[in-house]
Amino acid sequence: MVDLTFLDMIWIALFVGLMIALALLFYRLSKRSQSDFFLAGRGLPWWLPATSVYATHTGTDTPIWYSGVIYQYGLAGMWYGFFATWCSISAFASAKIFRRSLSYTQAEWQTLRFSGLGAELSRGWLSGWRAFMDIFTVGWMNAAIYMICNYLFGWPFWLSFLVFTVSVAIYVTTSGYWGVVMADFQQGIFVLIVIVLVSVIGISVAGGPAGILSSLESMGKEWMANPFAFKEFGGGLPLAWFLTMFFAAIIAGFGMGSHTDWYTEAQRIQSAKTLKDSSYCMWAGPALVIIRNALWAVAILAFFVLSPNLLPPNPANPPPLHQAAEMAWYRIGFDYLPEVSAGLLGFFIAAIIGIHFSTVSTHLNLGASYLTRDLYQHYINPEASERRLVWGGRISTLIILAGSFFFGWMMKAEITSWLIFTMWIMMAGTWIPNILQVVWWRFNIKGWLAAWIANMGLAWIVVWILPSVNILSGLLDYQQFWILLALSALIYLPVTLLTKPEPTEHLVRFYVMARPYGWWGPIRKEAERRGLIKPIEKTKGGQK
Amino acid sequence: MTWIKREWTGEEAQEWTKEDVIAWILSPLAYLGFTAGVALTLLAKWPGYILLALAIVFTFLIFWIQRPKLDAASEEYETKQKEYLKETEKMQRWEEI
Repeated sequence: MVDLTFLDMIWIALFVGLMIALALLFYRLSKRSQSDFFLAGRGLPWWLPATSVYATHTGTDTPIWYSGVIYQYGLAGMWYGFFATWCSISAFASAKIFRRSLSYTQAEWQTLRFSGLGAELSRGWLSGWRAFMDIFTVGWMNAAIYMICNYLFGWPFWLSFLVFTVSVAIYVTTSGYWGVVMADFQQGIFVLIVIVLVSVIGISVAGGPAGILSSLESMGKEWMANPFAFKEFGGGLPLAWFLTMFFAAIIAGFGMGSHTDWYTEAQRIQSAKTLKDSSYCMWAGPALVIIRNALWAVAILAFFVLSPNLLPPNPANPPPLHQAAEMAWYRIGFDYLPEVSAGLLGFFIAAIIGIHFSTVSTHLNLGASYLTRDLYQHYINPEASERRLVWGGRISTLIILAGSFFFGWMMKAEITSWLIFTMWIMMAGTWIPNILQVVWWRFNIKGWLAAWIANMGLAWIVVWILPSVNILSGLLDYQQFWILLALSALIYLPVTLLTKPEPTEHLVRFYVMARPYGWWGPIRKEAERRGLIKPIEKTKGGQK
Repeated sequence: MTWIKREWTGEEAQEWTKEDVIAWILSPLAYLGFTAGVALTLLAKWPGYILLALAIVFTFLIFWIQRPKLDAASEEYETKQKEYLKETEKMQRWEEI
């Protein structure tokens, strides 16, 4: 428990009030249409969705699991956060294709790429799954803010939910994506300033760079200050894990939906006003994320030299919060900021609330977009008026909010293991199919559906069921990733090749609109034959 | 640098070319440089300065190469956007499957 001064409380009240008030100002814009409620009218300059990407991916849970991996692997643990690299490629690859499709959601994109009943099935499935995942994500945000509120004030779960998640829902329900992106902008800037401040103070308290390095040396742990200290070279993180991450991130940039963050980014891509703005926002937002990761990592390392005996994450028997390594970054703020200046602790807590608000708001609105656009409008009421769709968005926001309460309750103290399972392992078998659907004309909806069905079963079998009977037990998460990648391919590849391709008419229309890369030769030729695209004229050096 | 194309027509900019491949290669390297570079710079280690400098140079190169192409592609695409939006709304309302 910490004691807050009057000045601390003023900061917190001012910041929360300002965030909610600013977001509410956009109520009038958001109610104009579905496009405004979910995409801010598709007219944002790149820096707004970019800050939103950054703010969204700075969640209350992020420094928690990040502290866990830095304590375990030193700076090499930074590579756990390196999955954001997929965005660096996507910015100049799949983001352009998705932006050209104009789909509100990835589920809608499925019906542009594929055709018939299968495409509708995939849209229905993906929208339901996404709504579930957004409930799940807000749920783990609830679990994370509970950990912090419990540590700070001794609050129970329901109280932290009521105070800090329901208040976000007020402005998301009222102002939709306009409110989300505008609040994200101020939260993003404020939070970045606080992250820099706390990290610098942490490093300074530990004796500066020289102090950290000499302390590590005296502990015999100098490898922790080397981001490339893999297990094979005396560190802790296996090199194969790093290579898996790098490989998975790079190829994911060419696909759509390989990583759970794609769905958040997809909304930002469509809200950007031009193709160029969507590319820029996709590159700049995640670049800030990885720079932030580096700041965190060094600050956590600084805390490590001050408190090396904190306990690692243990889902079976979670350590008390004041002894948990997962709280390391937060502890810098809680333990040392009050010593620097009065009111700074309030400033820090206001930033934590901002971190929580930005992530929760995004997922409330994103989940609502799938429920409204893909389920309600497409399958229940295709002729719904814009006014009704905006109301549909508001009601859907409240559904996501209610569901998140129960998920947060379930996973209160097991953030790291849940996060790794959902973001990595549960997606492993669909990683390649989500790329194939973009790069290969022959990949059809039956293959895509087969991959999803197989993966859902295989992920549970490989990760939970078989190890419980001592088969494939003791595997690390990256090894499970590769196994699932291979097993799933044994199912979706034969299914694809043994069934018919999508109708040429449909593929040509998709190709002309979205201009995908990869193996689209026959479709490209057909589009040229119909006069829909000019043939590529080659001169000597291959230059057009 | 004539090897890098800096003037594009709208139609040309829609195609995937070596300028995109260069961005795909440099982009993750820039991210890698930022991650390790910032961390090591904060620890005042000299490889950090080099990695950070490389990341900044790569970033400059990526946008120097991509910007003219993205400008042309955006302009070309915006002319067709209205028509495509109509098509997707028809599919949404089951007027066209």
